Amino acid sequence: MENGRDEPKGWSPYVAGALVGVLMVMSVWVTGKYFGASTTFVRATGLVEKQLSQERVAKMDYFLKEVPKFDWQFLFVVGIFFGSLIAATTSKSFRFTAVPPMWRRRFGPSAAKRGIVAFLGGGIAMFGARLADG
Amino acid sequence: MNELTYGLITGILFGFLLQKGRVLRYDKQLGALRLLDMTIVKFMFSSVLVAMVGVYLLKDLGLVKLSIKSTVLGGNIIGGLLFGVGWALFGYCPGTAMGALGEGRWDTVWGLLGMLAGAAAFAEAYPFLKGTVLKWGDFRKITLPSLLGINHWIVIVVFIIAGLLLFRFFEKKGL
Repeated sequence: MENGRDEPKGWSPYVAGALVGVLMVMSVWVTGKYFGASTTFVRATGLVEKQLSQERVAKMDYFLKEVPKFDWQFLFVVGIFFGSLIAATTSKSFRFTAVPPMWRRRFGPSAAKRGIVAFLGGGIAMFGARLADG
Repeated sequence: MNELTYGLITGILFGFLLQKGRVLRYDKQLGALRLLDMTIVKFMFSSVLVAMVGVYLLKDLGLVKLSIKSTVLGGNIIGGLLFGVGWALFGYCPGTAMGALGEGRWDTVWGLLGMLAGAAAFAEAYPFLKGTVLKWGDFRKITLPSLLGINHWIVIVVFIIAGLLLFRFFEKKGL
């Protein structure tokens, strides 16, 4: 709707949400893994920083706690991208969008303005998520 | 199959369902924060209710272990408030940002880069936070049933009833 009249309707949020619940239970049962995403950003940052200074990262408390490596959650987060890509492209709901419709109505079409706020928001959200250990 | 393969497959299924539920959108996430559109609340609460029953059932059967995070009021409250501010500015949480990128919403690239920067900043601040904020109000691994001293199924039933009442309210109001 918000992206054009031709977009097909999705599933009921109750049904899709309940299926995610089943997926969570199966995951805990089969692999003992609970869903999470934000630790992966710490590990990814650590992997980048390691390219700059291996010794420094090796000494940092937080990277000793959350070791920079590819683990279950890292691949889980990568998988979210591909799962969404598959669902979107097979249902004709994939759209290249630089500015969300609600944002555009309020703040205008500038992709730069949206990009700056998105960057700041992402940074603050991640700092908060790590602080709350969520 | 190894752990990484399981991670990838679980992520793909999760991303697929997030996209089908139409929750990977700035408009939906801000819609919830502005109390205009409760799609993501319906989605999240549905998954929580199902997972709650399933995980505790498996736990009672001795098949799984819970993974309880420590309750640290300093970190939880300050971190939660910061997360809320950042979430409202960006319009996505970490997981849904990756999913939204898969739908073609490439403004998420800037937010994802911001998240890496935020994680880097947190890693720098961690030694300081560890001795201060993360020590304030540390209740360790508590749960509602343990705190109230009642059986976990009572808590689960109360949550299910509250969830169903909430859903009925949303549908009545057309949210």
